Amino acid sequence: MDSLLSVFPSKDFSLLGIILAAPLLGAFVNGVWGRRLGRDAVRLMAITAIAVSFGAALLTFLALDREVTHAGHGHVKLAWTAWDWLYTTGKSETQIPIALRFSVDALSGVMMLVITGVGLLIHIYASTYMWDDKSYWRFFCYLNLFVFSMLVLVLGDNMPLLFVGWEGVGLCSYLLIGFWYGKMANAAAGKKAFIANRIGDFGLICAMFLFVHYTGALDWNGIEAGSGSLVTVNEATQVHVWPIGGGQFTGFLKFLQPDSPITITAATAVGLALLLGATGKSAQIPLYVWLPDAMAGPTPVSALIHAATMVTAGIYLICRLNFVFVLAPGVMATVAVIGAATAFLAATIALVQNDIKKVLAYSTVSQLGFMFLGVGMGAFTAGFFHVFTHAFFKACLFLGAGSVIHGMHARIHDDDKAQDMRKMGGLRKYMPLTFWTFLISTAAIVGFPLTSGFFSKDEILFKTMTTELVHPDAERLGKKVTFVQSLWGARDPSHFYVPPAWLGTALYWVGIAAATMTAFYMSRVVILTFFGEFRGWKLGRPSQIDAHEAAAHDDAHGDDAHGDDDGEHHHEEDLTKPGYAPHESPRPMTIPLILLAVFAAFAGILNPGLLKHFGLPLPLEHWLEPLFEESVKVGVHAKEGAEHMELMCTAGAFGAFAVGVGLAYWVYVVQKGAPAKQWAEAAPKLYKLLLDKWRVDEAYEASVLSGVDALADTATSVDKGVVDGILARLTALLVAAFGTILRALQTGVVHVYAGMMVVGLAGLGWFFVMPHPDGHVVEKGSGDYSIVAAPGVGYGYIWAEDGAKKPEKEVFSGTAAFPLHVEPGNTKKVELKVRNAFGIVGTKTFEVTAPAKAAPAEVIEMGQNGHGS
Amino acid sequence: MAREARQDAAPVAPIGPATLAQFLLVGAIGLVASMFLKGALAVVAAGAVAALMPRRIAHAPWVRVALAVITGLTVHFVLRMWPGADAAADAVVPEGPVRESHTLLSWLIGLPTVGALAVLFLPRQAPRVLKGFTLAIMLGTLALSIPLLSVKMGRDFHFNQDVVWLESLGIHYHVALDGISLWLVLLTTFIVPIAAFVSFGSIDTRIKDWCFSLLLLEGAMIGAFVAMDLFLFYVFWEVMLVPMYVMIGVWGGTNRIKSAIKFFLYTMFGSVLMLAAILYLSYTYSRVNGGNPSFDYFELQRVALRRGTQVWLYGAFALSFFIKVPMFPLHTWLPDAHTEAPTAGSIILAAVMLKMGTYGYLRFCIGLFPEAANEYGASLAGVAVVGGILYGALVAWKQEDMKRLVAYSSVAHLGYVMLGLFSATSSGIEGSVLQMVNHGISTGLLFLLVGVIYDRRHTRLIEDFGGIAKVMPLFATLFIIATMASVGVPGTNGFVGEFMIITGTFVSSRLGHVSGIQSVGAAIGVILAALYMLSMVQRVFFGPITKDENKHLKDMNGRELVAAAPLVLMIFVIGLFPRIFLDPMHDAVARVISDYDARVQMHPANALEPAKGYYQGPVKLLPRRPEAPKVVTMAAAAPEAPKTETN
Repeated sequence: MDSLLSVFPSKDFSLLGIILAAPLLGAFVNGVWGRRLGRDAVRLMAITAIAVSFGAALLTFLALDREVTHAGHGHVKLAWTAWDWLYTTGKSETQIPIALRFSVDALSGVMMLVITGVGLLIHIYASTYMWDDKSYWRFFCYLNLFVFSMLVLVLGDNMPLLFVGWEGVGLCSYLLIGFWYGKMANAAAGKKAFIANRIGDFGLICAMFLFVHYTGALDWNGIEAGSGSLVTVNEATQVHVWPIGGGQFTGFLKFLQPDSPITITAATAVGLALLLGATGKSAQIPLYVWLPDAMAGPTPVSALIHAATMVTAGIYLICRLNFVFVLAPGVMATVAVIGAATAFLAATIALVQNDIKKVLAYSTVSQLGFMFLGVGMGAFTAGFFHVFTHAFFKACLFLGAGSVIHGMHARIHDDDKAQDMRKMGGLRKYMPLTFWTFLISTAAIVGFPLTSGFFSKDEILFKTMTTELVHPDAERLGKKVTFVQSLWGARDPSHFYVPPAWLGTALYWVGIAAATMTAFYMSRVVILTFFGEFRGWKLGRPSQIDAHEAAAHDDAHGDDAHGDDDGEHHHEEDLTKPGYAPHESPRPMTIPLILLAVFAAFAGILNPGLLKHFGLPLPLEHWLEPLFEESVKVGVHAKEGAEHMELMCTAGAFGAFAVGVGLAYWVYVVQKGAPAKQWAEAAPKLYKLLLDKWRVDEAYEASVLSGVDALADTATSVDKGVVDGILARLTALLVAAFGTILRALQTGVVHVYAGMMVVGLAGLGWFFVMPHPDGHVVEKGSGDYSIVAAPGVGYGYIWAEDGAKKPEKEVFSGTAAFPLHVEPGNTKKVELKVRNAFGIVGTKTFEVTAPAKAAPAEVIEMGQNGHGS
Repeated sequence: MAREARQDAAPVAPIGPATLAQFLLVGAIGLVASMFLKGALAVVAAGAVAALMPRRIAHAPWVRVALAVITGLTVHFVLRMWPGADAAADAVVPEGPVRESHTLLSWLIGLPTVGALAVLFLPRQAPRVLKGFTLAIMLGTLALSIPLLSVKMGRDFHFNQDVVWLESLGIHYHVALDGISLWLVLLTTFIVPIAAFVSFGSIDTRIKDWCFSLLLLEGAMIGAFVAMDLFLFYVFWEVMLVPMYVMIGVWGGTNRIKSAIKFFLYTMFGSVLMLAAILYLSYTYSRVNGGNPSFDYFELQRVALRRGTQVWLYGAFALSFFIKVPMFPLHTWLPDAHTEAPTAGSIILAAVMLKMGTYGYLRFCIGLFPEAANEYGASLAGVAVVGGILYGALVAWKQEDMKRLVAYSSVAHLGYVMLGLFSATSSGIEGSVLQMVNHGISTGLLFLLVGVIYDRRHTRLIEDFGGIAKVMPLFATLFIIATMASVGVPGTNGFVGEFMIITGTFVSSRLGHVSGIQSVGAAIGVILAALYMLSMVQRVFFGPITKDENKHLKDMNGRELVAAAPLVLMIFVIGLFPRIFLDPMHDAVARVISDYDARVQMHPANALEPAKGYYQGPVKLLPRRPEAPKVVTMAAAAPEAPKTETN
């Protein structure tokens, strides 16, 4: 490894370039030449690209480990700058360069390995799963591009670069969800995902400009160094929520002006903005709605993007910027509450879903909620550890589901039906490998003791119970206030808000409830899918309507050669007759399953929090410590007697597992599902509500979306009616009216014209006969001015300075200019009388004010312009 | 043609993994080799494109060659303009007075203009000759504009040429170029040949007049960007109007006459007011300069005006520019003009002509009336955000016509540009200038692509399409790339500009306490952009094909592809290497800001003039700005001793 470090020094670790370039090359080659390459070559290219990337990532990780050992304790980074990208300016025009700079440290190192490692397995799996698809090459182009974007996201050394990856994965997700774009529903799901993510991205953009303004930096080190200025107590430098930006309402709007402006610290503002971004990407309340729809994409996509990697980006972001979040305990609490609420809500929905992928999707949302809960309570390592273990077991579950769907396709050639658990059952017999791997992963997710999921979830729940959030500046500030007081009421810089201590306890119980439901619905999935009888034999004939639709579909994209998939080709089939049995998937699909299941079972060994009392090391905790140490010290406080609560918390978590699984066993195995039916009948409305996912989509549709829609409609009609209609027409009308009036004068009658001419001539005569006293003031510097009168035929002038005595006899002279001296700050009046050749006199008064401050530097340059002359 | 290509491609055996491995190996060797031979990379890239371009994309040999040349030139451009490469070149060439041609800008204006006149003498019956000649002139202009890049821009004006035109009125032919107008001139010389080339595929009536209009338009547009004499600027500004009016009116759609008149009247209304303001400003100058009028930008910049006068003059200029941009509520001519204009007209209108408004505001409103620009900047920024970015996006979302949708998206995009200008931070202004170029490229590409589909179906209504990604995959790919650029996905050009503008807005002190909410509003525009663009993409490209007419649409042909290729490449070049574009303009923008600051801080606000920074005394002349070019007149007049005022 030392030789590796001598080739790639830690400041210029260009091996990162290879990690990034390989998937990009794969995407490029497959994207441009994929159609001509043939499936074998596409597969080779795609898998090689990820394998090279994974190999390089492994080497990098080893080198990083070496560096860490060398450096002893501390935050070590291997960095590589590709090139200078752009710059922006901060406060008072300081330039903030933004380089395409990548770095790997403890946190991103682990992420990088997960992305390339799990990515490699999923690529291998997908190379078989997608084999029959007509757009095989397009799929792998997108998938490689996704891996590239995700790597940019985690390896980027500054916020904009993270944003590149952030939007890049969003784009790939959009393309992959809508991969089978022949169905409008898939394309719509892709668009929904993209727009929900964009709402999150809006948060990130806001966070970026706040960082630029307050910390004057966008790279991680710079933000960390400048993060102190995010929590100034000076009200002027805080973020003014109302009146917006710190303005003043005056006049009749004065009632809107509060006694003291409502402000939040910049840390809170940044934290909330980042949180919005994280909820978008990691599918949390309020933006989680896109993830279940995203299951429209091919199953390997669900495994890679919507379970293992992309959706954990939000947690990665929070861990990455942990030093910002701990500055705002209110935001931390919000993160935790959102996490717990999402974990609970998604678990309730997952209880009743029948589509195997939908259940897994909601379970992903729920598990992400657990991660949020962890990082929100300051347990960054625990939250991140759950990211790590979840990547394995959830990827394995999704791939297992894909394997089931693949197997079911032998019997049912319709995507929706092949995913319906009510049509499965007894698959254990037909697909033993899939069954065992699925079972192991389920054991992990439900928290079967000593599996990976057990350790990670237990750690989160334990930390939730035993920590309370503290304010980093609590000692200096002094007075704790309630949440409401922190916003309204008398303002005092020494006031600060900290979430109450009971928050952790409350969230713990919410988490236990969610974990219980997780155990229940996951067991339900396993039982319905793999145990009992295969219900696929007993399916009735598809209804006539279905058949008709299927025929129409086949017609619609009959012979075209593009972007279509096998899933779309419905074949009318007689499902009452015995057909092919479901079958085990081929080896390239089962080997990734086995590997993932092994990790799902044993990855807990990396951070077995509970077993530390038995002398086991905590490698991950130790590995990540330098990153989180400082933040945990300032932002989190362990409750008294925390160490004694560990067993009790674990008992709770175990209880959740036991109750959930036991209940599922009783309901679906002992009672053959009868209680589930009873419950559904007992509370049909609740059941329907859960089945309809709490109708959140509908609620959004009715509120936000229709609001924006109405706004857009209004804007459009304003554009048509008011702007184009009234404003433009009115102007045109004005011109037309003027034209009409003028036209009335153009009578063509000679007398009228002659009359007008006479009037006009009289007017001109009057103009010439009257004198026109006029002139302008020329400044000559140091208080000297000259007033120059306008010339005219036979004009004579008399100048009289204000206060000067009037001459006895008025003599009109030819002096057209009048010199004048005005002391700075004074005003002088000069009267000008003009007599013209007709002897008529006109008068005009000039007022000359010298500026209060003499500005000798600004001597005007008369006649020196030297050009045009 | 596309379909045929596909059909013979089908039976061909796939390349296979072994060949792929060989290709990759050769590619790696080529890449390593080109690292040692720096200049060879462009040739390697061009060769690779020519050799490896799939047949379904490059249908004919000439398309292959053209695409290869375009790629090679782009790679060469990036390598040459690379900041590091520049430093290496500097090391070789000793520092010294840089030789600049004083006539280069005149050549750039003159070549298309003279070309336009020459077209009049070519036979109407030989369309190929006309097209070839026009294209040759345009490419010649493009080639001539390349040397503009060879000069290190810095804070100064370059290629300065000042010739007395009408001596008694102080009107000069004065052209000069700085880092800001550099990119706009290049944008013009870059876009116009593309627009012309693509138009030659769809315009088939009155070719001669078409060529004449295009060339005249190009000359006038370049002239307007480099004119440093306000009278000259006005002349170009008006000359530019006529060919566009003709283009919409003659080759436009069904409602073309109405749209052309609307376009003309709106623009004319503003420019007449601007003319009055120019004349008044020049008259004011002459009053304090011993009766010698001048229209020279750098001279008029010296005039210190009181608030009462300045606000009116500023208003007249700004109104004219806001109509051109266009800003709410003066924007309704734009969707009509775009909808009816032929494809090339739309491309030029969107890519270059709208930039006249933004450029004009930056150069003339901020340059000549800084105090007024300062006073109204914050409020106008609000208009740019609410009326441009948000309102434009919402209205775009509801459009049923693809071209109208793109036109309203222009309103939103130019809202960003104007916001950056109002913020008057260097990040904001640089982002704005870059966004002007970006918008030219991505919206130009969008109009080009809408034109492609219009030529096939003679409709632009979104509902007439659906699912056409299946039959036109290449078209769909390019359209999605253009969409992503327009939406501002990082890695494409759109992101760089928007990011710089939004951060520049937030840190701006000129916008006062509203800067925060304005940048939030601008950031919301990013969401709305995704909403309207992706809704269109979804309805046009995805889902099942619902209309029989769409089942056999042909994918893009060679001409369309070659026209689109440079734009697609530039999307990524700007997105990935924005420093190439930012570095030359950086100092010029710094100069604009320091001029602005100097004027606004010269006269602090007081009780008499609560509005910030106005000068209060009688009209006077300030010293010439330090970076203004030396007064060099090319007239034969002997140098005179400076006159001294005696009275």
